Amino acid sequence: MIQLTVVGAVAAVIGGVVAITGRDSRLVAAGLFLAMVAASLVSSPEPTYTALVFRVLGALLAAYLLWAATRNGSISSEGSYIGVPAEVVAAAAAFCVGWYVVPVKPLAGPLAAQAAGIALVVLALGPLAGRNILRGGVALAVIALGISLLMEAWTAPASSLDQIVTTAVMVGIVGATGLLIAPTDVDLADDVETEGLADEEVAGQAVSETDTEPEALPATGRARRLGVREPHR
Amino acid sequence: MSLFVFLVACGGGTLLSLAARPGGWFGKLAGIGGLLVAFVAALLIRSGTHLTVGDMALVGSAYSGLFLACATASGLLICVVALAAGWSDEFAPAALASFAGLAVALTATDSGVALAAGAAATTAGALVIAKGVPGNGAPDGRLAEIRTIGLVAVAFMFAGIATARPPWSNPGDSPVLVLTFLGVAVALAVRSGAVPFHVPASHLGRTARVFAPALLLVWIPAGLGLLAMSWSATVFGNHNEWLNNAGVIVQLIAIATIVLGGLAALVHDELEEVVAYSIVADAGFVLLALAARTDAAAEPVRLWLLAFVAAKTGLVAWAAAVSHAFGTSNLAGLRGWLRRTPLLGLALVAIVVATLGWPGSAVYEARSTIIRLALPGSLQLLFLASIVVTIAYGGRLLLLGVLEPAADVAAARGERPHWGYASAGAAEATADLDLAVAGLPAAAGLPAAAGLPAAAESADTTAEATPATPPGADATLPGVAAVGLEEGAATTRRHGSRAAAAANPTLAAAVAAASEPASEPASTPEPEPAPDAPRKESSPWGPRLAATWRFNRTLEVSLVVIAGASLAAILAFGGFNARAASHSGIPLDKAAHAAPTPTLVPPPPGPSPTPQPTLAPFPSGSALPSGSAAPTPVPTPVPTSAPNRGDTG
Repeated sequence: MIQLTVVGAVAAVIGGVVAITGRDSRLVAAGLFLAMVAASLVSSPEPTYTALVFRVLGALLAAYLLWAATRNGSISSEGSYIGVPAEVVAAAAAFCVGWYVVPVKPLAGPLAAQAAGIALVVLALGPLAGRNILRGGVALAVIALGISLLMEAWTAPASSLDQIVTTAVMVGIVGATGLLIAPTDVDLADDVETEGLADEEVAGQAVSETDTEPEALPATGRARRLGVREPHR
Repeated sequence: MSLFVFLVACGGGTLLSLAARPGGWFGKLAGIGGLLVAFVAALLIRSGTHLTVGDMALVGSAYSGLFLACATASGLLICVVALAAGWSDEFAPAALASFAGLAVALTATDSGVALAAGAAATTAGALVIAKGVPGNGAPDGRLAEIRTIGLVAVAFMFAGIATARPPWSNPGDSPVLVLTFLGVAVALAVRSGAVPFHVPASHLGRTARVFAPALLLVWIPAGLGLLAMSWSATVFGNHNEWLNNAGVIVQLIAIATIVLGGLAALVHDELEEVVAYSIVADAGFVLLALAARTDAAAEPVRLWLLAFVAAKTGLVAWAAAVSHAFGTSNLAGLRGWLRRTPLLGLALVAIVVATLGWPGSAVYEARSTIIRLALPGSLQLLFLASIVVTIAYGGRLLLLGVLEPAADVAAARGERPHWGYASAGAAEATADLDLAVAGLPAAAGLPAAAGLPAAAESADTTAEATPATPPGADATLPGVAAVGLEEGAATTRRHGSRAAAAANPTLAAAVAAASEPASEPASTPEPEPAPDAPRKESSPWGPRLAATWRFNRTLEVSLVVIAGASLAAILAFGGFNARAASHSGIPLDKAAHAAPTPTLVPPPPGPSPTPQPTLAPFPSGSALPSGSAAPTPVPTPVPTSAPNRGDTG
């Protein structure tokens, strides 16, 4: 009989692959949700209903935060750098390695947690090296999930407070990613500055800013910081 | 109970102030109210305080309470200054969320929970990152922040595994411990902006919101430093070759940070950068303490972190107050600032004193002890170097302040109080300005006056960006009283009532235009009273008080800053029971000592439990800094457990 932990581990890795390789932000959010929910099942003894509900709610919140930050359609993941098949193969290989290696003896938790943890960590290493914030943030969430699974396997079953804090880390990472990919008021203020101007005027304004003498256009610290022009005095 | 109240206040304040964005008084109220409640609750956290969550308990200690109280008080100080110097809707919720995470981290008895909570606290920093899209070679603050969050989260969560000491298959766990030690140290260094990871920290003035350095470079790194120190002497106290080499790397980072950070603060010309590098340089002491890997460093670093949090928050508030008062943060434009704002000068002196102390004071002894424990004798000159550099950049700022005032400084109002009938006139002008705000949009073709509050925060820049004079502005404002308006407009143009002037560029231009005819009696249709004549004797106190409040913003901000600096100085001298609290530590310290410690190298004999081979001898008559007799384990009656997850003890 297939154990729940094995099913959860495989589902977590599948969710991780979808989150890492997906180009559509909705797919990324769905993959992350699947990985977070499935990872909560990879525990021996099985988690309490309270912990499970908390983890599911946390996964929902994380997926919602990611979806809310990307729902205008202008932000999407770049997808996999090495291709989906390569990601799947890498994750499967890491899962197998995690299934057979024995870095800790005896294991305090299920073997499936170790395998899934290693697979998720390996899967997430690539995007962390890139410059895409969405992919980096999602990879970060996946790697944190992988470490929590390794902790489950190597140390001891997570307590309720452990579950809460781990969920908080995940939600925090995904929330931070959502915040950092969303346009801020400062960005919008930059847009407002050139709003209504023709492209030539915008270009001319940029040129005039660089050509203007400092005495003629003194900039205060805050104004210079935010990249806006000074008033005529 | 107090711990529960603290967490609820932080969580509730975070959610409410986030939900109230953008703008609005409710968000400010929720943020400041949450901080205030959290501060009071933190004051009540004692060694007997506990909160049970499921099968695990959060346990308070005197130091946890004092640190959280210090942090929340610092947050309050910043928020009060921000009310006048530029409110950011994201700052208060970010601070509250971080404090909630740090509260769990500093009261948890389980290493996994504590370290993961520290990682969770770090993620709140993303709220205060404002500028992401790089332009003109500017750094991408968002990418730097997500990488920092990632590094801290991964390092601390992995440390949660390593400190639990699972039974590794290979004999000895030195590679894992080395990786963990380096990971934690580098994560702490990156979050603190230590050299060579200082570039994002130095650009925070451009990539983050106002006051962000207080959160990103002071409060969060201080909490993470406390967590890292708990394991420094036990799990990482193993003196094998690999760990010693790792310790040398951390020492090098710390030395570079203290020296180069201080020098960078000395040579940079933007106030934000001076402040950032000053914070970075002092954060190097935490790295040094971590590299010492001895119990003896724990108590001084705890005391130092209290002073660090208070003093550096005061420095951030001071810089914001100066920038706000004179409308510039460039040191060349700030020449003569001390002549206009002597109270801020006093505050700066107090901050420097709180940072350095003097021989015999708690903070001085703490810093010197950290250096003695972490560095061999030949490198202990670093202590003197750090003092000299700190005095140098503080002295440079003060020296600039007494020079001939620059144009912006000369035009600014300064701290001189303004009372009496002039203020009454100003009050009337202010009231008229408010009326003008209501009337101007229609005349000037503005979209709506309702947008004014929302634009208040960034309005000074917006105002400067669109200096157009509205048609119809002269028709709207001819009835404004001359004296009051003249003063009010001058203040508005310069720096003072940004809430009115900065809220709308068109209004500022209208006021500027209207003030000129107001100064010419012939062009003013209404009779103009003499400047010093009593005006409206029967007028209520309300408008006068409002005007007094508005036209004395600089003074008020200076008073708040000097209060914060004074508190920092008191803490630095061991006040508020800081010495005794630093002796007690946090519950994780005891959990760390309960964990099995590797003893590949037997500890040296003798009463001193400091096995650091580079340890310089203590001065005679004082076994340890801060007057403590010995680095005994935490004396708090805390029912802590071994750091195994789920084992509640």
